Amino acid sequence: MIRRHSDLPLERDSSSRFMPWIIAFMVFLAVLSLTSAMVLNSAVSRWTAGLTGTLTVQIIASEEDRGADLAAVTEKAAKVLQATPGVEGIRILSEREVGALLEPWLGTDEAFKDLPLPRLIDVTIDETIEMDLEALAAQLAEVAPGATVDDHRKWLADLITLVRSVELFSAGIVLLTALIAILTVIFAARTGLAVHHHVIELLHIIGARDSYIARQFQYHALTLGLRGGILGLGLALVALFALSGVAGDVQSRVVPELSLSAGQWVVLAGLPLITAVIAMLTARITVLRTLARMP
Amino acid sequence: MVSLDPVVRFENVGMRYGRGPEILRDISFALEPGCFYFLTGLSGAGKSSLLRLMYLGHRPSRGLISLFGHDISTVPSVKLPDVRRRIGVVLQDFRLLDHLSALDNVALPLRIAGARSDQINEHVVELLRWVGLEQQLNARPPTLSGGEQQRVAIARAVINRPSLLLADEPTGNIDDKIAMRVLYLFEELNKVGTSVVIATHNESLVNRFDYPQMHLEDGQLHQTSAAQRISA
Repeated sequence: MIRRHSDLPLERDSSSRFMPWIIAFMVFLAVLSLTSAMVLNSAVSRWTAGLTGTLTVQIIASEEDRGADLAAVTEKAAKVLQATPGVEGIRILSEREVGALLEPWLGTDEAFKDLPLPRLIDVTIDETIEMDLEALAAQLAEVAPGATVDDHRKWLADLITLVRSVELFSAGIVLLTALIAILTVIFAARTGLAVHHHVIELLHIIGARDSYIARQFQYHALTLGLRGGILGLGLALVALFALSGVAGDVQSRVVPELSLSAGQWVVLAGLPLITAVIAMLTARITVLRTLARMP
Repeated sequence: MVSLDPVVRFENVGMRYGRGPEILRDISFALEPGCFYFLTGLSGAGKSSLLRLMYLGHRPSRGLISLFGHDISTVPSVKLPDVRRRIGVVLQDFRLLDHLSALDNVALPLRIAGARSDQINEHVVELLRWVGLEQQLNARPPTLSGGEQQRVAIARAVINRPSLLLADEPTGNIDDKIAMRVLYLFEELNKVGTSVVIATHNESLVNRFDYPQMHLEDGQLHQTSAAQRISA
């Protein structure tokens, strides 16, 4: 005959209507921020793994050599490389392959066909042997003036700095959204305490402990936090899938692939729960601190 | 062994709201276990405020209050709920929870005290039947008359078999017949050991009983024993 219920009619408060939407919006932003950070992080890991143990030798036709046979120069450079200790293999990229690499920036316009494209040699090296890249570059310059040796370290270092900055920025956004969610819960809890002051006073009079009253607020906040969190995650997933579809055409060329590992999906799926727990703890602390000031 | 400590003891107690003037001054009295008192005075004399001090709804601005032998100023705040659970309070505005049924309203003190559901159900139904509300168990307060709401409030105050019952104008909204019935209920509780203090401005009702009286006037308390009242 007696049902489980809340002594405080918190469900009827206006905060019950607006709080899930605010939390949903915050979780939405947090999911997008986290996803971008995780996608960039994965891309850097893939790029780092892909470039480790490789060198790229670029042979540019110099002013004097313009029109000369660049292929012959490239062959000479290849022979120098093959004779270098620590080089495990080389592959000369065809003009078509070099053109394909530049296609995202230059397009397929016929006008670009006449541009003096450099020749590239992909070199696989033994990572256990330390190579003197300056000496190698000097050797190559003798047979192929203007040849450069790129071990990708500088490019990677710059990229990693950029990605780490984006990650920090994303973490800042996540922290900011968490802070706003916390402030929202504090505001809602204080409003609830003010609106239901008479009921709370009555519960006190008849012997309710502060924790008994706080429990009602914290479960209410947990419910609203979960509701808002799931809504926000759902909206963010829709946005991500839409973005993934739009990026599908270009991702293989200039944008990192929009895919996450199972662990990263678990982190995203856990966000509503984390948000709800933060809301619950915030409500509990706020209510207990306020009640402690009552007679 | 029965404790002989007064249920309530006030020593030079003063009370003010915020920074306002002191509305109760130098209040000193002691209520022995099993006593029955009327607290009288004109409207605004401070009867409700004095009751607030007794049920720990407000801190005194000065003086000493002890309940059940414990100096309240030294009781840790985590222990105060235990003290409050020994006090039943009927508030002037009833303070029923509109979203709960009469049954759930009366069950509130038991639920807060952690009683088992089956015990709660049994006791609450029995008490509501006793105050004549067996047909209104699942009714919500807004659908009840003023008198019915008052009886729900009284049932909620006594469901825990309190050691001290404080009632603020418990007969204010009900007719004389039901008022007498309510007072007889308080008498019955008093007979089983509950100390009772009833604040009222209804002199005619007070005069029908021979209980001692505490009278508030100009923020000060004057006590009249039963014998003095009879001789007067």
